[in-house]
Order: sequence, then structure tokens, then C-alpha cells
Amino acid sequence: MGRYARTLREELRKRARVQLIGEVTGLRHTPKQTYFELRDADGAVPCTIWANELANLRLPDGALRDGAEFVASGGPDYFVGSPTSSPGFSFRVTHLRLAGEGDLLARLEALRKQLRAEGLFEPQKRLSRPRLPRTIGVVTAESGAARRDLLAGLRRRGWAGTIVWGFAPVQDRRAAPAIGAAIRRLAELPELEAIVVARGGGSLADLWAFCDETLCRTVALLRVPVISAVGHERDSTLLDDVAAVACSTPTHAAEAAVPLDCVVARADLQRGAAALRRAGEGAVRTRSRHLVSLARGPARALRRERTALNQKTREIRAAGERGLAERRSFQWRIALVVLDRAARRAAGAEASSRREALRRAEVAFRAHEPQHTLERGYTLAEDAAGAPVTSAAAARELDRISLRFADGRVGFHRD
Amino acid sequence: MAESDSTEIESYEAAVERLEQIIDRLDSGQAGLRETLDLCREGRELVTYCAAELDAVGEGLKELRLDELAAKLEAAPSE
Repeated sequence: MGRYARTLREELRKRARVQLIGEVTGLRHTPKQTYFELRDADGAVPCTIWANELANLRLPDGALRDGAEFVASGGPDYFVGSPTSSPGFSFRVTHLRLAGEGDLLARLEALRKQLRAEGLFEPQKRLSRPRLPRTIGVVTAESGAARRDLLAGLRRRGWAGTIVWGFAPVQDRRAAPAIGAAIRRLAELPELEAIVVARGGGSLADLWAFCDETLCRTVALLRVPVISAVGHERDSTLLDDVAAVACSTPTHAAEAAVPLDCVVARADLQRGAAALRRAGEGAVRTRSRHLVSLARGPARALRRERTALNQKTREIRAAGERGLAERRSFQWRIALVVLDRAARRAAGAEASSRREALRRAEVAFRAHEPQHTLERGYTLAEDAAGAPVTSAAAARELDRISLRFADGRVGFHRD
Repeated sequence: MAESDSTEIESYEAAVERLEQIIDRLDSGQAGLRETLDLCREGRELVTYCAAELDAVGEGLKELRLDELAAKLEAAPSE
């Protein structure tokens, strides 16, 4: 058994020396050795380093801790065991350094390439985001500037709906699973319309939880849109790639979560309502005016006709009166001819003086002609024989009386 | 254009889009009296809907905690 174990150790030690990059977990120190695992989303390798070798590396205090990203150089080894200890495989670390920005970026790039190839950047971007959500979920640290800034951003937009806070650590090895769990539970709330994941800026190592492959795969396939607001303008995490929207600040995240500026929208709506009112009232008023003018048309025509008719009536009446007058003057002309003839018959020595007397008689006759008086509106009362009744006393004695007008007689009986 | 009464308002976005169409149409001055009155009525309904939506997010921020919410849901007897 021992021989086989030693052969196995020799075989493993022949393998090429490599560099591994991963997150430190399960860190444990003993006087001789330090034990930990290096892991990523796909798996883990148990590592050991001699205590004296670790001391020689002069790592900053507290740098080697759970959740930190490290680059370990070394190769596989096998501990064959002893009568008092169990055998075991480990990656014998000969050099260890904190993963630098470059290491993390290289790893991030590889992950990014893989997720993009799987088409996981697209699904979130195809989700529709309501412009005016009533309820949004926010995953962030309970005590952080991100929370305060996001609230301030929402307030500036005049939004005061419902926020469901999913508080989670946003930095260390517990962060990614806790953030993933909070996002999944928020997405289960049926009224939730968007989820914001917010954290302030930091180094790529600080933000590494947001590059976690499992977390990013969870978000990519979520049916609720996720707004990533992690880090500042220059920071780019894998979560930014898979999320529906990536924002550089919590203020931008507020705008992405509630695209509608409620303050502006309220003013716009008031204007819209006023425009509608104007259009409605205007349409009716304009048409009413038209209708009124149309309705006035016949009245105007009627008035015009009536005026014309009145004019004609006046003309006809005038013509009638003229005709009557002409007829009367004709009668007078006949009378004059008769008188003239009588005058001619009476011609003699005093012919001229008689003619003059006749002229005066004619004038007197005209003045006393009853018809002339009647035409001025007087009425002549006559008895049955046609004799004038000249007093009220005489009239009271009569059974019948007739009134003679210019245009005819009317008879009256005493009742 | 005038068949609006039976149309369900789907979302704030849809309501605002339709409202803009209505105002454009009214501003064009091409709508007859009947259409104008129908559009005004539809527009008033949309304004009422949008105002209610804005009121719903304007009456005071409500903050809930996911952990408390989850605890409540788990404590509540299933119906």
C-alpha cells in the first residue's frame, strides 16, 4: 500500500507546474502548514502551503482571507499518510499572490466570452420595462450610500410607489450567493416590475461578486428586468452585461427603474387634459356659431321679404288713394263742365258778372259737398228716408238709422 | 377612429401614446363634430386612467423588506 501511495505521489509530482486563479475558501492555519481551497464556479482544488514559505511571501496583513482572489503557483502532490494521519491529495503551493486587476480581467474576459457565446446577454434586454412601475425591488447593502442615492433619485422623479428591499452583503464570498437568492425571491413577487442591483464603486476585486458566473446566469434567465447599478462609470462587471440595463450611478438606476419622470408627466397630463377640453368645447362652439348663423339666414330672408312686402303694400295703398283721388277729381271735372254749360246758357249782358257768381257758387258748393266732408273722416247720420239726422235727440226718436261713410252706408236697428 | 369605448387600456405607455394620437388628430382640425366628441370622450378616459396611475405612485413611498415579507408569507396559512 505504502509503495503504491509513494508511486502515485511521484507520478503526480511529475506533472507540470501551473498557476491557478480562484477564490480562497476554508482557510485554516496550523503551525506547519496553511490549508485552503481555491475555487471558481466550476470546481475547487485543495491547496497547502508550508508555513515558512507563506511567511517568506510577506503578503499584506489579512490579505489571505476567505473570499479573496489569489493566484497560486505549484503542482499536484500526494500525502501518503502515516500511522497517525490520513493520506490526501493537495495542490502544493510554492508561490501565492493576491490576484491583480489583470488576472481578474483575464478571468472576467473569459467568462464574458463564454456567456456571450451562450446568448445570455440578450434575454434580459428583450424584456419590456414599464415606464411607470408601481413596485420595484432593490438589492443592495442595508447601510450604504447606494441605497440613499437611489431613494434620492426616485424622489427627484416624483416617484413614491412601493420599494421592496432585498438587503444583501455586496462584497466578500457570501455576497454573490446572497445577492442571487435575494434576486430570485424578489422575482417571485408577482407585483414586482423591475429589480435594481446597486452598489457603490470599488476595485474589480471589491466588485468581483457581481462577476459571479452563477449569479449572472440566474439574472440572465430571469423574467423580471434587472437594472445593474454596480460601481462607477469606469467599472464594468459581468452583471452589467447580462442585465437589462447597466447604469453608472444610482441616480441613473432610478431613471432606468422608473423611466417616466412623474413630475414632468403630471404637467404633461394637465396640458393634455386642457387641450382635450379646448378641442371639445371649441368644436361645439365653432359649430354652434355656424348653426346660429345658418338659423339666422331664413329669419333674415323673411325680414327682407317682409320689408319688401310692406313697401309694396304701401305703394299699392298709395296707388289706390291716388286712383280714388283721380276718380273724384274726374267727377268734379264733369260737374264743372255742367256748371260751365249752364253758365254759357245764362250768358247775356251781365254774362261776365254771372260767370263770376257761378264761380263763387262752385267754390261754395265744393266746400259744402258732404262727400268731401265724409272723406275727411266725418260720418253723416240719416234716417230711413235719407234725411240727415242732426241731433242726438232726433236720433233717439228713430228705430232705424244709417251712418253714411265716404265709402258707403251702414244701417243700425234700435234693439 | 371612434370605436374606443370597448378598448381596454393596457398600460400607462399605451394610454399616453393613444392620448398623443388623439391630440394630434384634434389639433389637425380634420375631425368632424362626431369624431371630435368621441375623441374627447376617449381622451378624458385616458387622462383619468393616467392620473390614477400617477396618483398610485404619488401618495407616499412605501418601503417593504424582502426578509419580513417572506417571513409573513411563510407564516400565513396557505389558502
